[in-house]
Amino acid sequence: MENTAKRTKAKEIGRKALGIFTIPAIVVLAVMIVCLSTGQMILTTDVSFYGFTRYTAVVFLTTLVLSINLGSGRFDFSIGSLSTLSSVIAAKITYAMLEGSGASAPVMLLISIIVGAILGALSGILYVSLKLPPIITSLGVTLIYEGAIYMINSGRPITTETANSSMTFFRESWWLHLIIIAIALVAIYLAFDRSKFGYNYRALRAGQNISVNTGIKEKPNAIICYTICGALMGTVGFLQALPGNQITTSVLNFGSIGIMFVAFLPMFIGGYIGKYTNDKIGYLIAAICISLISSTFALFSAKTITASVQSIVTAALLVLFLIFLNNEQTCKDIVNGTFFKKLIGKIKNKKDAKNGKPQE
Amino acid sequence: MEELASRNKIKFDKYRLKKLVIALLPLVALIALFVAYLIILNANDYNVSMNLKTLLNQSIVLILVATGAIFIFTLGQFDISLGANTLFAAVIGTLAYKASGNIFVLFLVCIVVAVACSLLNAVIASIFHLPMFVTTIAMLSVLTALATFLIQSEGTASGTSFSITLPSNLVNDLSAIDTPAFKISVVVIFMVLMIFIFNFTKVGRKMKFLGGNQNCAKLTGISVSLFGIIAFALAGLGAGLGSSMTVVYAHTVSTTTASSIGMSVFIAIVFGGMPINGGARSRIYSALIGGISYNLMTNILFILFQSMQGVRDGLVQVISGIFFLAIVFVASINYRSKNLPR
Repeated sequence: MENTAKRTKAKEIGRKALGIFTIPAIVVLAVMIVCLSTGQMILTTDVSFYGFTRYTAVVFLTTLVLSINLGSGRFDFSIGSLSTLSSVIAAKITYAMLEGSGASAPVMLLISIIVGAILGALSGILYVSLKLPPIITSLGVTLIYEGAIYMINSGRPITTETANSSMTFFRESWWLHLIIIAIALVAIYLAFDRSKFGYNYRALRAGQNISVNTGIKEKPNAIICYTICGALMGTVGFLQALPGNQITTSVLNFGSIGIMFVAFLPMFIGGYIGKYTNDKIGYLIAAICISLISSTFALFSAKTITASVQSIVTAALLVLFLIFLNNEQTCKDIVNGTFFKKLIGKIKNKKDAKNGKPQE
Repeated sequence: MEELASRNKIKFDKYRLKKLVIALLPLVALIALFVAYLIILNANDYNVSMNLKTLLNQSIVLILVATGAIFIFTLGQFDISLGANTLFAAVIGTLAYKASGNIFVLFLVCIVVAVACSLLNAVIASIFHLPMFVTTIAMLSVLTALATFLIQSEGTASGTSFSITLPSNLVNDLSAIDTPAFKISVVVIFMVLMIFIFNFTKVGRKMKFLGGNQNCAKLTGISVSLFGIIAFALAGLGAGLGSSMTVVYAHTVSTTTASSIGMSVFIAIVFGGMPINGGARSRIYSALIGGISYNLMTNILFILFQSMQGVRDGLVQVISGIFFLAIVFVASINYRSKNLPR
C-alpha cells in the first residue's frame, strides 16, 4: 500500500518535472546545436552575459504585466508608453537632484517604480471611472502618455540625464538584474498568491458576477492591479534605458506598443509550464528561454540574421506553440500513433449517426 | 392607470430621444469639426482647397481600411495586423507596378495580397483553434518583417531609412488617377458595397448575431469559422484598396508607410460610434465618420498650436487622447454595465 503511494507520488513528480523542463530542454538543445554548428558559444563574454540577464528581466517583468492584464480580460495597449514615460520622468528628476553623480541609477530606478505606479494607478482610476472597455481606455491613455513623453524633451532622445557611470555600473552588473528578477518574483507571488488582494483577484478572474455579488470590491482590486503593473513597467522602463544609456522619446502614433509583443510567446509558454508549477516560475523559465534564443541570434552578424528574420522566427514560434497548446491531445495522438485510428473512428461514428446506427 | 401609462410614455419618449441624440452625436461632431476646420483655415489664411485635399488623402486610406475592419469588430474580434497588411500589400503592389507599368496590376496585386494575408490569419486561427488576436499579432510581426526586408533589398537608402520610389514615368501615369474625384469614387463604391453586405444580406445579419451572442448564434447553426473567414476577407479587401490608394498619392513606400493605421482604425471606428464589442449596435458608416472626424480634429489642433513648434506634436496627441476618451464616454453613456467592462 505504502509502495503504491510512493510510486504514485514519484510518478506525479516525474510528470511535473517533465512538464516543467521539456521546453527549456528543447531550447537548450536547439541553442547547443546552433552553437556547435557555428563553432561559437553564447554568453561567454561579460557583455553578452549581462545583456542576457538584463533582457531576461525585461521579458519576465513585461510577461508578468501582460499576464496580470490578460488574465482578467483586460487588454492594455498603454504599458509600453507607461514604461517609457516613467523612465523619462525618473531620468529628469534624478538628473535635477544628482546631476549624474553618485547613486544616480538606484535613485532613478526607485523614482521610475514610483512614477510607474502612479501612472498605472491613474490608468486604473480612469478605467473604473469611465467604465469603458479596457482596450478603449488603454488607447486613449497611450495617446496621452506618448504625447507627454514627446513634450518632455521635444521628441529628442534623453541622453545627458542617463549617461553616467552609475548607469553603466548598473548595466554591467548582472547580479543586480538577478536581484530585480528575484524581488519581482517574490513580490508578485506574495501579492497574487498569498494575500487577500490576490485571492480576490483570482475570484474576479474566475467569475466576475458571482465575485461582485459575494461582496468582493472590484474597483479597488482593478486599481491595485493597474498600480502593480505600473510599478513593474516603471522598472522595465529603467532597464530599457540601460543598454545605450539613452531613452527614445519620439514614440508618437502608437510607436510604444511594440514592447508588449515580446511578452506574448513567454506568456503562453509560461502558462503551459505553470500547469506543473507556480505560473510565475513558469513565466521566469519562459523568459530565460526567450532570452537564450535572443542571445543565439546575436551570434550571427546583422547581415546573416537580420531583425526581420528574428521577428519572423519569433512569430513562427508563437504560432507553432499556440497550435500545440490548443491541439495538445491531437499532438499526443500523432506522437502515440493513434491519430489516424481516432480519426477513422470519428468518421465512422459520424456515418453511423447519419444512418441512425448506435455509436461506438 | 391612465396617468401611469402617460408617465411611462413620457419616460419612453425621453429614452428614445436620448438614444437618438447619442446615435447622432458622431455625425454632429463631424459637422461641427468640419465647420470649425473651415473657419480656422480661413482665419489663418491657409489655402483651403489644398488643405482639404490633404485631409482627403489622410482620411481615405483610414476610411477604406476601417470600413473593412468593421466586419471583424462586429464579430467582437480585432485585427491588429491591418496596418502591417496594408504596408506589405503596398510594397508588393509597388514592385509589381514597377515591373509591369500597369495601374490595373497595382490595384489587383494590392487587393489579392491583402486579402490573402487576411485570409491566412482567419484560416490558421480556425483550423488550429487559435485565439484570433494572437494570430494577428504574429501576422503583424511577420508582415512588418517581410515588408522591411523587401524595402531594404529593393529600395534605395536615404540616410538610415529605406524606401521604394516609383520612376517618374510611372508617377505621371498615376497622376491621372490621383484626383479627388477618383478617390471619392473608390470610397463611395466600396462603402455602398459594404453597406449592402452589412445591412441587406444574411452575411451582415448573421455577423451581428455572432457578435451579440456567439453561443446563441452557434446553437442556431451559424458557423463561427465561416463568418470569421468572410469578415477577414472583407477586411483584407479594405486593406488592399487602402494600400493601392497609398501608392497612388504617395508614389513611394517606406517602412513607416501605414505604420499607425492598425491602431488608428480602432480610434476611427470607436470615434464614429461603433461599440468595440461588436454585435447588433455595429454601424458600417462609423469608419467614414470616425476616420474624417479624427483627422479633422488633429488637423485643427495642429493649426491652433502651430506656434508651439517644439512640443506641438506631443500636445496635439495628448489633447486628441483626452477628446477621444471624452467622446467615447459620452457616446456610450446609455450602455453602462453594473460590473467593470472587460
